[in-house]
Amino acid sequence: MSLGRFAIKRTLQGIGVVWGVITVVFALRFVTPGSPINAVAPLDADQETRRAIAAELGLDQPLYVQYGQYLFDLIQGDMGFSYVRGQAVTPLVASKIPATVELAVAATVVAIVLSIPLGVISATRRNQPVDYGATLFSLFGISTPNFWLGIMMILILAVEFGVFKTSGRSVDVGDVVLSTVGPEPFLDTLLGWLSYITLPAIALGTYFTALITRLTRSGMLDELGKPYVRATRAKGLPETLVRYKHALRNTLTPVVTVLGLQLGTLIGGAVITEAVFSWPGLGTLVIRSINLRDWPLLQGSLIVIGVSFVLVNILVDMVYAYLDPRVAYE
Amino acid sequence: MVSERVIRNLKSEFRTSALAKLGLVLVVGVVLVAVFAPFVAPHNPTAQNLGESQLPPLGFTETKETTTSEMEDGEVVTRTVQERVEADAAHPLGTDGLGRDMLSRVVYGARTSLAVGVLGTLFAALVGVPVGLIAGYYRGKLDDGLMRFADVSLAFPSLVLAIALIGLWGRVAVPVPDPFVVAGLVSDMPERFTLPGTVIIVVGLVNWVWFARIARGEALSLRDQEYVKASRALGASHGRVIRRHVLPNAITPIIVLGTVQVAAIILLESSLSFLGFSGTTLSWGFDIAQGRDYISSGQWWIATVPGLAIMLSVIGVNLLGDWLRDALDPGIEGEGGV
Amino acid sequence: MSDSSAPTEASAGDHATRRRGAPDGHADDVLRVRDLSTRFFTEEGQVNAVESVDFSVRDGEVFGIVGESGSGKSVTALSLIDLIDSPGRITGGEVWYRDADLADEFRGDRPDAVDGEFVDTRRLPEGVRRSLRGPAFSTVFQDPMSSLNPSVTVGEQIAEAVEVQRRARANPRRTRSRTQGYGLGRLLVDAAVPNRSFTSESSHARAVELLEQVGIPDPADRAEEYPHQFSGGMLQRAMIAQALAGEPDVLVADEPTTALDVTIQAQILNLLRDLQEEQDTSVVLITHDLGVIARMCNRVGVMYAGRIVERGTLSDVFDDPVHPYTRGLLGSIPDLDDPAPRLNPIEGNVPSLLDEEMGDRCYFADRCPKAMTDCLQPIPEYGVDPGTEGHAARCVLAEREYADGDALPADHFARNAGVRDDD
Repeated sequence: MSLGRFAIKRTLQGIGVVWGVITVVFALRFVTPGSPINAVAPLDADQETRRAIAAELGLDQPLYVQYGQYLFDLIQGDMGFSYVRGQAVTPLVASKIPATVELAVAATVVAIVLSIPLGVISATRRNQPVDYGATLFSLFGISTPNFWLGIMMILILAVEFGVFKTSGRSVDVGDVVLSTVGPEPFLDTLLGWLSYITLPAIALGTYFTALITRLTRSGMLDELGKPYVRATRAKGLPETLVRYKHALRNTLTPVVTVLGLQLGTLIGGAVITEAVFSWPGLGTLVIRSINLRDWPLLQGSLIVIGVSFVLVNILVDMVYAYLDPRVAYE
Repeated sequence: MVSERVIRNLKSEFRTSALAKLGLVLVVGVVLVAVFAPFVAPHNPTAQNLGESQLPPLGFTETKETTTSEMEDGEVVTRTVQERVEADAAHPLGTDGLGRDMLSRVVYGARTSLAVGVLGTLFAALVGVPVGLIAGYYRGKLDDGLMRFADVSLAFPSLVLAIALIGLWGRVAVPVPDPFVVAGLVSDMPERFTLPGTVIIVVGLVNWVWFARIARGEALSLRDQEYVKASRALGASHGRVIRRHVLPNAITPIIVLGTVQVAAIILLESSLSFLGFSGTTLSWGFDIAQGRDYISSGQWWIATVPGLAIMLSVIGVNLLGDWLRDALDPGIEGEGGV
Repeated sequence: MSDSSAPTEASAGDHATRRRGAPDGHADDVLRVRDLSTRFFTEEGQVNAVESVDFSVRDGEVFGIVGESGSGKSVTALSLIDLIDSPGRITGGEVWYRDADLADEFRGDRPDAVDGEFVDTRRLPEGVRRSLRGPAFSTVFQDPMSSLNPSVTVGEQIAEAVEVQRRARANPRRTRSRTQGYGLGRLLVDAAVPNRSFTSESSHARAVELLEQVGIPDPADRAEEYPHQFSGGMLQRAMIAQALAGEPDVLVADEPTTALDVTIQAQILNLLRDLQEEQDTSVVLITHDLGVIARMCNRVGVMYAGRIVERGTLSDVFDDPVHPYTRGLLGSIPDLDDPAPRLNPIEGNVPSLLDEEMGDRCYFADRCPKAMTDCLQPIPEYGVDPGTEGHAARCVLAEREYADGDALPADHFARNAGVRDDD
């Protein structure tokens, strides 16, 4: 099977999962105690009013009709209407996506850039000080709650030294891109952006840096002990190639798998990191919609989160198939 | 099940690994503190004493600002009084904004973290392991259904799913009488310990898939083993084969996953209580959320101390997990996150 | 000879001068291994995997090393090419390799590492030793499936071996640096820029030629495939092609057919034989299979417990074995002509190579049908059979006849079980 056909197959599977995600989200309101009408109707509403509201929301229809209507609306990009905000859900959710994506991508970049070299160095200098340091760092990294780490960084870097911004996102990555062509001074914009993104990205990225460092280290140790590495050395290849072209590439396959599995942790971590740094993203929206019992808004956010998880996982699988040619051929 | 070889591996790994020893010390320490919290805590963790609020930990001095507003001559006059606050040996880790003893709160917080970590993991395992074993053993539609459901349920981050479910279901807290206090062994301690019931159910529900995946994988590889086929041929029922052959062989990776899960659930619980989605106020995450309001005014310890407690216990559990994994080598790595 | 430590054509069997000369030194030698020891320092203790091994390999011959598994023959092979990984280490000995150019180069700087046309690779800097992998020594490993990287195409892997030598010829000095002129920066640039990589078009073309040479049909297409798309036999051919890429003087084949089907084994052996004759390469063939030895080798060394206990020409060793272990091994081949074929495996187990359990005696004594009291003494040096071409054995029987009167009681080792022999 070619890589292209593998991509198509994975995408079809992904669509199935997306359908499941939508169904679960739709079902959520039926495992909720109390009728959804309660969230909208005034407390003293009489039966007549309640029935009118139910009819308006389509809640008097049989379940399968409601479900069909829900799917039909979703396909057209309509995720319903937020009772609390008095706004359509879709544009509201869409406006929050860039902030969360920016945060998640920044954290992932920080994690990958730091962890893979650290893991490789740690494995190739086993039982040397740098290895002990990396091992200790990764132990702390996977054991520290990210929200607490965020608060500690605010305490030390922002409160004591006043280096970084602790809340909000007044300058985003889009502004930085615009400043390269627009009138804004590029360097100031860049530094402004960094002052907002740095702390949240580190708070969110530390766990992954630590996790990938551990995985890379143990994976490299595994690979470096395999016969093909010895055979590769036996043919006189430079150590650079032995380590990075051969051993590291095979190390990355399990790393990528675990990253795909841990994607949920990244998104969950983003939710709480947003809460710590008042980052105006999907996480903040989810928490607010729960606190306000704004079910359509919550459903919309959950669908966006679920679908993005599925999309990124398809991407991860493609990377996996690229790294390990055996996957696509199975 | 637990063979001599396993025990020998555990021992030899333990002997050679300083980290494994540290892990065991930390975990045993946290468990003892949590169980005997009423004896360990110097004060009632919920007793407020505004006269002793915001005391720094031993060895630190802080400046406390008190702002008072009064009506004077028809105008509101605000006065800010600054006073130096010395640490008090009665409160070695200081006090929080309401004058509650930090050390006692950390001690009682260990109960919540451990209770949720252990009970949540047990609940997840009790749901996940049978489902996984049955799906992997019988294959077929059941298995397909489970795997599709697992795919869907993995698409929701545990934390997001947990706050959504808790938000929908409400926060149910179960008061459990503290046996030491009931028996009259200690006084001045809370008579009831609040178990965050919804949190336990929810963290179990969002994490059972990990157990199901592991159990299914083991069952899949074991069902075709000759001895399993042989005992079927000898007339053993499916249930008996699963109980006698499949489960005992699957137990090692399940135990290792369980350890990883306890660490993950402790972190998840602290996140939930930090965000206010818990049923109890005696929780490390809750205290960090409280302490967050004080970091800009200088009371750094209120948020710092509970965080250190989380970190040390999770490090302990993770080290224990590493020890088990290295000694038992069940071939799982990095699965089962928050 | 000017240097006392240099290998000389010492008279065989002269124990006093043996340490000064290469064992059975011969004008055609391309490789002389002397007193080579490799140990592993494990948690269980020190393992003496290879202990004072002596042998030499001549130009264009196949030298066989045969022994049971665990006798140290594969470690010997890896020690030759300096590929012993931690916790193992080559703890002593010399590997003299004939290379006139290299000898001239180091005569001034490292006089102790040079003698005539020979250099002792053990005394050369690590970079130089590494640069010998490929053009001097090259290896065919036991299991081709695990000895090739599963996620890189077969053609690319062979092309790498070609490319290394191409670059080495273009710039010999750089080849000896740690990165061989190919550091992380270069790798990153090559990975980032399309159409740039370590291997060049011409090395890929050469790889296809090599695949054709080892008898792989459709070599251009097969070169683009991954190892898992190859059958075991085809993959071993590819492995041989990779080993030939550097046009090596000495090809070390470590159990090249063990992982293969019986029908394929013969094909691979024929291929090795043909290539060896065609290219006049010397081959060190490591195997546990006496049939393979008989079919392929000119001379042979028999390994037991980390030592070469007997060596000589194939006919000397096979027709006139001296060491009881060799006799036992030969006796364990089922004779097809025998109407009632019986296997005569040697009784007992391969001895532990743990240093503390080894004692200082002949390690075969506990399994030896001809064990004598002399065998409890330290193992003798090689006793050479005069009138042969270096047929020698490390056994008291090489010097004297077996005498019933000196025989060890049958239960000697059973009685002393648990008691260390040197106590």
